[in-house]
Amino acid sequence: MAHEPPPGITVTVPRLVLGDTLLFADLSCRLPAGRWTCLLGPSGVGKTTFLRLIAGLVEGGEAIADDGRPLTGRIALMAQQDLLLPWLDVLGNTLLGYRLRGSPDGRLPELERRARRLLSRLGLGHRLTARPAELSGGMRQRVALARTLMEERPVVLMDEPFSALDAISRHRLQEVAAGLLDRHTVLLVTHSPLEALRLGHRILVMGGQPASLREIPVPPGSPPRQPGDPALLALEAELLEELAASDARTEEAWASTVP
Amino acid sequence: MAVAFDSENPDLPPAGPPAGRAELLVRIFGPLLLLGSIVGGWEFLVRINEIPPYILPGPGLVVESLLDNWHSLYPSLLVTLRITFLALAVAVVGGVGLAILFSLSRWVELSLFPLAVVLQVTPVVAIAPLILIYVDNITLALLICAWIVAFFPILSNTSMGLASADHNLRDLFELYGASRWQQLLHLRLPSALPYFLGGLRIAGGLALIGAIVAEFAAGTGGTGSGLAFRILEAGWRLEIPRMFAALLLISFAGILIFLAFTALQHLLLRRWHASAASRER
Repeated sequence: MAHEPPPGITVTVPRLVLGDTLLFADLSCRLPAGRWTCLLGPSGVGKTTFLRLIAGLVEGGEAIADDGRPLTGRIALMAQQDLLLPWLDVLGNTLLGYRLRGSPDGRLPELERRARRLLSRLGLGHRLTARPAELSGGMRQRVALARTLMEERPVVLMDEPFSALDAISRHRLQEVAAGLLDRHTVLLVTHSPLEALRLGHRILVMGGQPASLREIPVPPGSPPRQPGDPALLALEAELLEELAASDARTEEAWASTVP
Repeated sequence: MAVAFDSENPDLPPAGPPAGRAELLVRIFGPLLLLGSIVGGWEFLVRINEIPPYILPGPGLVVESLLDNWHSLYPSLLVTLRITFLALAVAVVGGVGLAILFSLSRWVELSLFPLAVVLQVTPVVAIAPLILIYVDNITLALLICAWIVAFFPILSNTSMGLASADHNLRDLFELYGASRWQQLLHLRLPSALPYFLGGLRIAGGLALIGAIVAEFAAGTGGTGSGLAFRILEAGWRLEIPRMFAALLLISFAGILIFLAFTALQHLLLRRWHASAASRER
């Protein structure tokens, strides 16, 4: 979908303090070009802040694209909240970016067709004129995903995009997203080890305070992997242990800051 | 990738039952019943105690007087309503305009808002005589008085509405490269609409009150011919039923203004705002 090759991204954070908490110190990380990087870790460790930093919404670190060009305008973000405009219908929300940019004349019918196709692929084809208040949480999240996908940005940052979905919808949407965002540089923040193992080319676990990153081996084969794969299931158990350990590390760090 | 969804979804919210019929009955007949018993009791007390009409006329007599004096009261109603709606229109333009200015510049907001508060807390009865002295044109003076009371709720509500746009949405707009102007047009103004409409509903009633108060203050000047002037005039002549008739008209006008703005609010917000949407069960 993207017309330009996706850039790899190098993130460096010398020091980032949020409130009274030192979140990151000397943290660096690479998001390989055209690959999915999945980020796991306990709540409050700084995953969302890390993602917002790459998006340029938080100061304190740098995210540099390999090709040397600025990242501004090349990033699509899907936040934890669906962030739909309540006064626009499903189609209007999906096309919000184009509405704001003022798409070139004559492209709108084509864009609308594409949005309709995408929405019906996400199971929303019959709710195009519904307002967000008339939709369930899972449906709203799908609209937000559609809007993110419509943006056609080479870099996509997603913060727990599938958390409000039921198990079946999540499974389907993971495949849709993996298919449509193939060959994009993606950072996916998630709480689900299984999701990370299905979708990631690379898995990072964030833990501690200040937070550090630890790379976890991924199962063989290319995403989306089947959830029943024995290699994947074995790694899931390992990953759960790793997460529990990083959770403990983070808790310890918190405990040590309290006098 | 041939993943597709079936047409219907399990997570579809139910369509919601039709607005409870029992509740509708209570909403319509409750107030009517209460009003009916008050009017009936009033008429009954007036008759049983043989209260003379120059002290307290019964409701029947008031309505009779309203019909008898329709030729003089109706034009007065139009005069008062004209002032009310003109003041309201100026208040909307001024209030929304100033609120937008506030949202764009913190500096302007901090300097001007206290002034707006001063304007709000000064009782209009107290400044109306002064305004009438300084402004030669009576209509303009009345307009200013009504505007002073109608202006503040619109300014303060719209101002709050503009500031209440979701911060995450602002981030999103920034990421999409939206200009300040686009953010205002596509995010802040729609977010402020429910607040503005709430302010408008208050301001509509206040504008009517402001117009009446100003007419009272101007009344002795004799040039005004609004409903307040009719009340004063009837008072001088001890035509108590006519005073009540004019009062009745003012109340009706106020109720109609309130209902009209409530309907407007419902019409504009029912699809998307929690305040107007029927509740999901």
